[in-house]
Amino acid sequence: MLKEIVAFRDLLRNLVIIELKLRYRNNVLGFLWTILNPLFYLLILAIVFSQLLRFNIPHYTIFLLSGLTSWMMLQQTIVIATASIVNNQHLIRKVYIPKILFPLSNVLARYVDHLALTVILFLFMIGLKAHFSWSLLLVAVAILLHFFFTLGLSLLTAVAYIRVRDVQQIVAVLFQALFYLTPIIYSVEALPESLRSLFLLNPFYYFVQVFRYPVYYGTPPPADILTVAFIITVLTFAAGLWLFGRKEKYFVFSLS
Amino acid sequence: MRDDLAIRLSSVGIKFRLSLNEGQPLKERRLEALRQLLARRQGRDFWALRDINLEVRRGEILGIIGGNGAGKSTLLKIIAGIYPATAGQVEVKGAVAPLIELGAAFNPELTGAENIFFAGSIYRIPRRVIRQNFDRIVDFAGLRRFIHSPVKNYSTGMFMRLAFSLVIFFEPDIVLIDEVFAVGDEVFQQKSFEKILSFRERGATLLLVSHDLNLIQNIATRCLVLSQGKISYDGSPEGAVRHYQELILRGEGLGQEERPREGREKISPGSVATGVGAEAGLEIGAGERFLAADRSRRWGDRQVEITSVTFVDERGEAKRVFAPGDYFEARIGYVSRLPEAAEEPVFGVAINTIYKMLLYGPNTLAGEVRGKVREKGVVRFIIPQLPLFAGDYLFSAAVYDQSLSHAYDHHEMMYHFRVSSPERKEFGCVRLAHHWLLE
Repeated sequence: MLKEIVAFRDLLRNLVIIELKLRYRNNVLGFLWTILNPLFYLLILAIVFSQLLRFNIPHYTIFLLSGLTSWMMLQQTIVIATASIVNNQHLIRKVYIPKILFPLSNVLARYVDHLALTVILFLFMIGLKAHFSWSLLLVAVAILLHFFFTLGLSLLTAVAYIRVRDVQQIVAVLFQALFYLTPIIYSVEALPESLRSLFLLNPFYYFVQVFRYPVYYGTPPPADILTVAFIITVLTFAAGLWLFGRKEKYFVFSLS
Repeated sequence: MRDDLAIRLSSVGIKFRLSLNEGQPLKERRLEALRQLLARRQGRDFWALRDINLEVRRGEILGIIGGNGAGKSTLLKIIAGIYPATAGQVEVKGAVAPLIELGAAFNPELTGAENIFFAGSIYRIPRRVIRQNFDRIVDFAGLRRFIHSPVKNYSTGMFMRLAFSLVIFFEPDIVLIDEVFAVGDEVFQQKSFEKILSFRERGATLLLVSHDLNLIQNIATRCLVLSQGKISYDGSPEGAVRHYQELILRGEGLGQEERPREGREKISPGSVATGVGAEAGLEIGAGERFLAADRSRRWGDRQVEITSVTFVDERGEAKRVFAPGDYFEARIGYVSRLPEAAEEPVFGVAINTIYKMLLYGPNTLAGEVRGKVREKGVVRFIIPQLPLFAGDYLFSAAVYDQSLSHAYDHHEMMYHFRVSSPERKEFGCVRLAHHWLLE
């Protein structure tokens, strides 16, 4: 699979560029929207939650924004990449292309956005005079974990979506629920002790924490959280590659 | 694989699954979809191709003919890697240019220039090569003025020209052509055609699926006849055409009966994919699918289907180039699925100039007709002395009901013949009976 990706690297590059380029092609501000969109999103949520809902969390804005950034990486990537094969069926039915290029290019394009989002997050931190520490470099590791986890999960959902088109709706609904079941707008400590262990069952919890620790707490994430996130990433990615590799030959039969 | 081979297929077969529920109401289909998910294996299997053994040497021009649904396009798609073979082994050596559907790789939102790079990367042409050839590609397509507009604003002709030009400069080792020449204006067709033939000098291999038997005879070095998913003839193009015509007369040149006739044309994209019925439906004869992009060239419900059109001389030998005054005959092979009691269908033909001007369009309702329409057979349209002068002519064949309002099968200007004469003392394109009196 890797060999094919290398052989088709020009195409991969083009797919990513096209996706980024076409999105805002007819807009006056064009590519600037890639920055403006998440900027306003974060700004609105920051105002709503930090001014209206007052959680008893110091530096709540940074707390919230770090969680949201991580969440966007997870949710947006998967919801969009789930449809990557079906959206490109016209190509798959007519020319030979390694199918992995579609989810991969989708995810890569998303991460261009996510990197922009992360930069904006840093700008907010500067603006709010947040504490910067060396552990902030670990954000890169966190993003890598997010990347491979979402790529793996997208491969799984993309395969499922080809067979059952309801999958996209299901994924969207699940993410809406998970948004509240993951400590993004609130902190784990806000909940009664008995409920806290339930978070340990939520895989997204680990990713949000891995991202939040270096940004908000200014410390590396606890080893146990980092380890679990790493294991989940490896397993999901391996499962995604395995299923996708096994099924990709037959995609063309289920697309119409 | 031996060194001189470009393609080798050993015992290749491909199986599609037909879903049982095409054409059912949506509500029932949903239930069915759910059941199929749970039960997994549902529906009938159907082998679109079976036991195909084929070796194609480098530099060969292999024609592939056969009725609609005989598996021609499926064969090309297997070689192109679009379909996986269910059985057997497929080996292909070299860069393949699948001209199965021209412009398939284009993104309508992108400009012509952007599409050149995008489609180029799909065919794995290095960016450097595209950049070097960019101007030549644009000039060959004749699109310099429009190259920075989105291709969604292009006409079909412009779109095709761009797609074609790109592939021509990509210099592939193997070219798979599926009825490509049904599109584009005649001048461009000629230009591209010569270009493609020139690939052979570099040792490129060509596989050509066509309904145009004259074309096959003119350029192929070898020809396959596919019938019901199997190779029923492999040899000289002349032999293949003869074999194919016999098949048609016996009614065997057709596709497989099992294919659902409904659901062929319209496949609702939003519906749950319930298996492979829709896919088998996609495996329409090459021409048809290609024509989906240019629907204006073939239409009708196919209750009577035109399966072939050939031009022959008085000895019945296929011919594409005639001289003024020659015997001209068009043989239109057909199959009728009309019920016994139905009115006899009406066959018609038309001859147009390449500028699409209609010269003459007679039909069996009006003219002198001998014989009767049967379940299958050949309609022979004979002009004892061709009154046309040198030039290229487009030929249409059609079959309608008695009222001439309902088309069974209409092939609009899908065939081409040429009239050539060494000298020209008269002018125009058609000879009108006349005499002069000088007083």
